[in-house]
Amino acid sequence: MLLIETDGKALLRAGGIAIPDGEVAAGTAPALPGKGPWVVKAQVPVGGRGKAGGVVLCRTPAEVDAALKRMIGAEIKGHEVRSCLVETAVAGADEYYLSLVLDPAQYGVRVMLLREGGVDVEQAASSGAASRLCAPGHASIHAALRELAAHEPSDRSAALIDTGDKLARLFLQHELMLAEINPLFVGPHGCIAGDAKVVIDLNAVHRQTALQELIERNAAVYPDAVRKLRDGFDYVEVDPHGEIGLVTTGAGLSMMLIDEMTTRGGRPLNFLDIRTGLLRNDPTRLIKTLGWIGERPSVRVVLVNIFAGITDLAEFANLLCTALERTPQVKVPVVCRIVGYRFTEAREILAAKRPDIAVEEDLTAALNRVDAILQRRAS
Amino acid sequence: MIGQLSRKTPVIVQGATGRTGSVHVRRMLDYGTRIVAGVSARAGADSVEGVPVFPDCRAAVAATGANVSLAMVPPLGVLAAAEDAVNAGIKLIVTVAEGVPVHDAMRVGQIVHNAGATWVGASTPGLAIPGEMKLGFLPDVSLRPGPLGMMSKSGTLSYETGYRLGAVGLGTSIWVGVGGDPVKGVRFPDLLDTFLADKRTEGIVMVGEVGGSEEEDFADALARAATRKPVYALVAGRGAKEGVPMGHAGALMFGNVGTFETKKARLEAAGAHVFATMEDLIAACRRQH
Repeated sequence: MLLIETDGKALLRAGGIAIPDGEVAAGTAPALPGKGPWVVKAQVPVGGRGKAGGVVLCRTPAEVDAALKRMIGAEIKGHEVRSCLVETAVAGADEYYLSLVLDPAQYGVRVMLLREGGVDVEQAASSGAASRLCAPGHASIHAALRELAAHEPSDRSAALIDTGDKLARLFLQHELMLAEINPLFVGPHGCIAGDAKVVIDLNAVHRQTALQELIERNAAVYPDAVRKLRDGFDYVEVDPHGEIGLVTTGAGLSMMLIDEMTTRGGRPLNFLDIRTGLLRNDPTRLIKTLGWIGERPSVRVVLVNIFAGITDLAEFANLLCTALERTPQVKVPVVCRIVGYRFTEAREILAAKRPDIAVEEDLTAALNRVDAILQRRAS
Repeated sequence: MIGQLSRKTPVIVQGATGRTGSVHVRRMLDYGTRIVAGVSARAGADSVEGVPVFPDCRAAVAATGANVSLAMVPPLGVLAAAEDAVNAGIKLIVTVAEGVPVHDAMRVGQIVHNAGATWVGASTPGLAIPGEMKLGFLPDVSLRPGPLGMMSKSGTLSYETGYRLGAVGLGTSIWVGVGGDPVKGVRFPDLLDTFLADKRTEGIVMVGEVGGSEEEDFADALARAATRKPVYALVAGRGAKEGVPMGHAGALMFGNVGTFETKKARLEAAGAHVFATMEDLIAACRRQH
């Protein structure tokens, strides 16, 4: 999971890497650091914020105010901007790109260091000119940094290698997947990280106390991660104004369903991998999911899709009825597509307890029913 | 090695006495998998479902000569299980656990690679030679034997695809769930030679997802390959939210890497067919096979 910049920078600073003076603003302008100019940056966990209008250079406090007013509450690539970082713009320094990223095919770490100035970072990365693949250890990353910085003046190369070593310590200690500083300002005062793009491994968070605390402290920024850590399954809200609530199992099938419904012109609310194999005859996960779906007034239909390879559908049908009973806030029609082990029994249970639920064995038929409900309500 | 698996291949199961392990040992035996030993450090576990249980892989391998292992251990136990297996001479290890930390997966990858062995997983339902044997918990209802090789990042989406292929009279020859993790054992491009060389396999179904570069690397391998077989691909996650992993840790996009558009373009340039819906994929397979 990608951290927002302020959290990434907090990690960098804790690791001894300098960052510009800055303040976080959630509403009006904070006490501005220094005399300006300033950079106002939307704190959302996506790349390409600059192109999306989420990074603005401001020369006066009035411009900072205006930028904050425009950005806070706006949406960038599906993420609501809850806060902005207002930071002193760094002047009189050269810009570099420094990153460490896992190479999944080689089981190594790719170290990249290059000086910018009209250079396309991605192109340079793919050409391999400015990168080295090495084993995931301090010594090998240090050696790679030395090679990459070899053609720099000696004072500058020492500063770059030092920053790279600090980044490597963070990368290995916190089990990161990506640690990128772009731009890295290098001037007479040494290195300053102008940005921080840090991707953490949610599967390692349980043994990474500092990261776990960081996520919990910022629960509003990482609602999906908090849900995963607290509840043990994945629910991601993909469209806060979605019309179709999804009760699904399996990451790939759930993603594909979202894609197919979007192709048909539908607006799915959420991604869900509830993991039916782990329900163990307990409706808690279903109640939580239906509760989250029920909180969204835009939802007009709920689609349940369970492919039961091993899951007992009769047991699932009973759990679903119990969960719906406990979530009366869900008042929209439910379409239930189930297929697999004990389908017939499950259909009988649903027919007896919830005759209003449309049951389908074929996925296309279920999607057609969802379309019909959305169109009927719309007209 | 994967292409040579059959109902004669002796297999050991690590973590065989656990709740999940024992259930699936039974199901695999029923399917035809020749499970010759279980491994469990638990004291007093002598056998499971009639299969003898040993305290470690070395003992299990010494007694049976097996060189294939299925590890049904929890995510934080996968690294130790892989070390145990390769040290005992295991040449193919399948790890099904979901939630293995990425830096652990890096070490598993190195250890297995250095031993000259093959790793399938993690976060996979396993693999199968339909009609012969299966390693893991792929549902039988999806495993109809037939002419298509299946490689998938996703369990459920491949079950649905396999089930629908079966419904139109098609089936699969080799089925490998590579898993949804970013750092894993066998990746899509590693399987291409196996699928191209396999005589039962007439076409390849690839069930991919956004994130990472596996589909792109597969496309490059396909473009270079000397022989051709048709490739039918799904890439799930077109509507995924950037910056947030969608259930699978590997299904995470940051920047311009691993988007639906990059994958589709590279695959199509290499001659693969990329479909927007499962229905379209099934229809195309039905026309050709």
